[in-house]
Amino acid sequence: MANALFYLMAAVCVLAAVGVVFLRSPIASVLALLTSFFCLATIYLLAGFQFIAAAQILVYAGAIMVLFLFVIMLLNLAHPPKLEAFTFSPANVRRGTFTIVISAGLLALGVVAVLSSSTAAVAAEMPPAGIDAIASPNGPDGSAGGGLANEMFSRYLLPFEAVSMLLLATAVAVVVLAKRNRPGMKPAGPEQASARHAP
Amino acid sequence: MTVPSSHLLIVAAILFSIGVAGFFLRRNVIVVLMCIELMLNAANLTFLAASRMHTLDVAGSRPDLQGPIFAIFVIVIAAVEAAVGLALVIALYRRKQTVSLDAAVDLKD
Repeated sequence: MANALFYLMAAVCVLAAVGVVFLRSPIASVLALLTSFFCLATIYLLAGFQFIAAAQILVYAGAIMVLFLFVIMLLNLAHPPKLEAFTFSPANVRRGTFTIVISAGLLALGVVAVLSSSTAAVAAEMPPAGIDAIASPNGPDGSAGGGLANEMFSRYLLPFEAVSMLLLATAVAVVVLAKRNRPGMKPAGPEQASARHAP
Repeated sequence: MTVPSSHLLIVAAILFSIGVAGFFLRRNVIVVLMCIELMLNAANLTFLAASRMHTLDVAGSRPDLQGPIFAIFVIVIAAVEAAVGLALVIALYRRKQTVSLDAAVDLKD
């Protein structure tokens, strides 16, 4: 039952990912990506990562996707202008060939690497508390007080602090980037925009 | 779930390849950012599959916590990347009135 659910979720996830790439409207792409993320969260849950599944839903579906939707709505991009049909122009052919070679090569590399490694054909059942319990009574070495939170704030404290600094720097950088009037820089007014689009 | 962890890795490889394909094919900056998110998620799934493999197949039932911890870091970095990328999209739109990557060629020319 759980195995069948995994394969179903994996299929839906891959289909939604294909939809992200090939759907025309950015809104449709965002919704496809959201579907993909929910399926991934289910896969995490099935694989025994309960906290990561919750974080996936909270951060991706709750924050990042809303940010994407907000920008699409803000810039009024929900209805893209009708594009000309795909043509086999040299630039398109070159780009398509490059894309197929790179992505198919990466896929083949990954699949060959996985299949050539010797892994068990069937995994054992996961521990009922999951793998990433926040706090577990037994640490990885059998001592008291294991779990994700303990690891995060002892062994991985330095990366944790580095990531907090990264978040702070990002908050500042985003404000600077998205601010409207920067001194020493002409804002692109409507007259400039129309002049650019006139010819 | 008794699916072998290699199947999770193969799903991650497929997702990553789709993300790479979209990254190169699409010209809409927002969709390109979404494809980057897709690739980061594939990396996350790889981390977690490796952690599961270590927990279930190698180390008995001792939880391997490096995978989940780095998955959390990747989630944070994905959020950071989305914030900066979308701020760049807004800046690009303000200057060029478009979100097509074909308009952002000032440094190339």
